[in-house]
Amino acid sequence: MITRITLLTLLLTIAAPALSQDNYKHGPDSMVQEGVPQGTVTQHKWTSKTVFPGTVRDYWIYVPKQYDGKAPAAVMVFQDGGSYVNTKRSFRVPTVFDNLIHRGEMPVTIGIFLNPGSIPPSKPGARARRNRSFEYDTLSGQYARFLLEEILPEVGKRYKLTDNPAHRAICGISSGGICAWTVAWEHPDQFSKVLSHVGSFTNIRGGHVYPALIRKTEPKPIRVFLQEGSNDLDNLHGSWPLSNRQMAAALKFSKYDYKFVMGTGGHNGRHGGAIMPESLKWLWRGWNGKTSDSPKKK
Amino acid sequence: MTGLSKFPRLAAAWLLLIGSSAMAQDMPLTQVLLPGEGWQLVGSGYKFTEGPAVDAKGNVFFTDIPNDRIHRVDATTGKVTVFAEKTARTNGLMFGRDGLLYGCRNGDKQVVAYAPDGSHTVIASDISCNDLVVGSDLRLFVTDPGGGKVWTIDAKRKKRVVAEGIGPNGVILWPGEGTLVVTERNDAHLWTYRVEPDGSLSHRERYYLPLRLLPGRDRPGSDGMTVDTNGRLYVTTSAGVQMFDPTGRMGGVIAKPHRGSLANVAFGGPKRNLMYVTAGDRVYRRKTRVQGAVHFLKPAVPRR
Repeated sequence: MITRITLLTLLLTIAAPALSQDNYKHGPDSMVQEGVPQGTVTQHKWTSKTVFPGTVRDYWIYVPKQYDGKAPAAVMVFQDGGSYVNTKRSFRVPTVFDNLIHRGEMPVTIGIFLNPGSIPPSKPGARARRNRSFEYDTLSGQYARFLLEEILPEVGKRYKLTDNPAHRAICGISSGGICAWTVAWEHPDQFSKVLSHVGSFTNIRGGHVYPALIRKTEPKPIRVFLQEGSNDLDNLHGSWPLSNRQMAAALKFSKYDYKFVMGTGGHNGRHGGAIMPESLKWLWRGWNGKTSDSPKKK
Repeated sequence: MTGLSKFPRLAAAWLLLIGSSAMAQDMPLTQVLLPGEGWQLVGSGYKFTEGPAVDAKGNVFFTDIPNDRIHRVDATTGKVTVFAEKTARTNGLMFGRDGLLYGCRNGDKQVVAYAPDGSHTVIASDISCNDLVVGSDLRLFVTDPGGGKVWTIDAKRKKRVVAEGIGPNGVILWPGEGTLVVTERNDAHLWTYRVEPDGSLSHRERYYLPLRLLPGRDRPGSDGMTVDTNGRLYVTTSAGVQMFDPTGRMGGVIAKPHRGSLANVAFGGPKRNLMYVTAGDRVYRRKTRVQGAVHFLKPAVPRR
C-alpha cells in the first residue's frame, strides 16, 4: 500500500508541471442542463470477422432523445470511444450532444464510440496482440472499411443511419486523430467531417507524409478541425506541435475548410475537452442548410 | 534508467485520459543501444553466415552454409570453434528446452536436432526449410520460402502446413508464445498470426508496418528475427536491424556493421545482452541494454 501511495505521489509530483499548462475549464455545454432531453448510451461488444479478424472490442452507442426512427440520423464515430463517451472526464460527448442537439446546433446524431481492438491469446500466460496502433496509425483504407463493412451495418440494424457524407463525422485523440483523418482521406465520399485532438500526424507508421500529400493532391471535400497544444509530445515519432502546424499549413495551402486551434497543453484531452462544444458547433455549422455546408470556394 | 523522469509524466497524463486503452510506451533506440558500444568482429573468413542461436549458458552457435559447418562462440572467452561439419547447408538454428540444437538441414531437405557432440537426429524429412523457431513445448515452426509455406512440427514429429501463399523467410515467437511473426519477402511488412493450441495459425495481420526501405527498393530484404524480454522485435533487413515495439511500431534502425549482407540476429552471452548478427562472411556482436527472450527456460515437459 505504501508503495502505491508513493508511486501515486511520485506520478502527481512529476506530472504537476505538465498539467499546470492544461488548466482548461468546462463550460455549461459540457454539463447536464435542466430541461434538456438526455439521450441514452448502451454498451456492446464486437468481434471482427473480416477486416481486423479476431479482434474484440467494446463499443457504445449514444442515441439522442430526439431520434424517432423515422428520418435517418447523422453519425459521428469516435476512436478510443471509452474515453469520449465518459461524461465525467474530459470530453463528455453524450452531454455535449444533448445540449447542442437540443438547440439545433448539430443534427440529431447517433454517436458510435469504438475502443481499439485486441486479439486475446489462445493460451494462458501469453500476451494479447494490441491492435490500437495498427488500426489507427496505418495509412490505408482498412479502418474505413471496418466502419463501412462491419460497424455501420451492425449499428444500422438497430437505428436508421444516414449515408450522406456531409452528415457523417469522425473524431479521435492522438493516434485516433490521425485515424479520423485517414478515414475521410480514404473515403471522402463516406465521411466529410473530421475532429482531431492532439492528432499523431507523426512518423508512427508514416503519417508524417500527410501535409505533403495534401499539398499535391486535388483537394478533397473534407471539413477538419485540428486541436493541438504547444507542450505536446516530441519523441522518436516526431514533434506533435510541429506536425499539426504542418497539417494546418497544408490545409490552408490547398484551401480546405479547416480550423486549427493551438493551445498550451500537453498530450491529453483537457483542452480538446474544454472546447468540445465550440469544436462541434464549428464542425456541424450549416448542417440544416441555413448557412453554407460546403467547403469554402475561393 | 534515464527515461524515468519522462515516462511517469507521460504515463500520468495517459492514465488520466485514456485509462484502459492506454497508449504503449515509446521505445526509442536509446533504450537498446549503449553509448560507445559499437559492433565488434567475432569472426570472419566464412562464406555465408546464418542461424545465430543461443544456448542456456549464452554460447552462440552459427552456421556457415556453403562450407557446411556450424561454429560455436564461447559465452565467456568469445573464442570461435567448429561444432559440427558436413552439415548439408544447415541454415536456421535454435535451441530447444531439451538442450538440442534444432536446425534446417536444407541440403538433405530435413529438419534435424544436433546433440552436444555434433551428431544429429532427423525430426522431419521431405521438407524444404530455411528458418525455424522452437516453442517451449518443442513444437517447431519452419519456413519454406520456395513453397511459400510455414510448417509446424509437433513434439510427436508430425509435420503439417499451417500457412501458405506468403513469401516467408524468418520466423519467431513472441515472449509468451501467443503470437508468431513471419517475414514477407515481397512487401514492407511482417506477418503476425495467433498460435492456436494445436499449432494452427489464425488471425493473420500485417502488424509490423511499414519496414524501412532503401531508396529505390520496393522490398526491405527482411530475414532473421529475434525478440527481447520487453517484447521488442528485431529483424535484419538491407537497411540494418529494424527494431519494433510490442504494438508493431518501428522504433529505429540499428546500422549494419559493414556494407555486406545482413542475414540474422540473436542475443547471446551469459546475460543474453549481446546482439549477434550474421553478416555475409562475418559475424559481429555489440553490447546492448536489453536481454534476449528465449523459450527454453520454462519448466520441462518431456518429449513423447
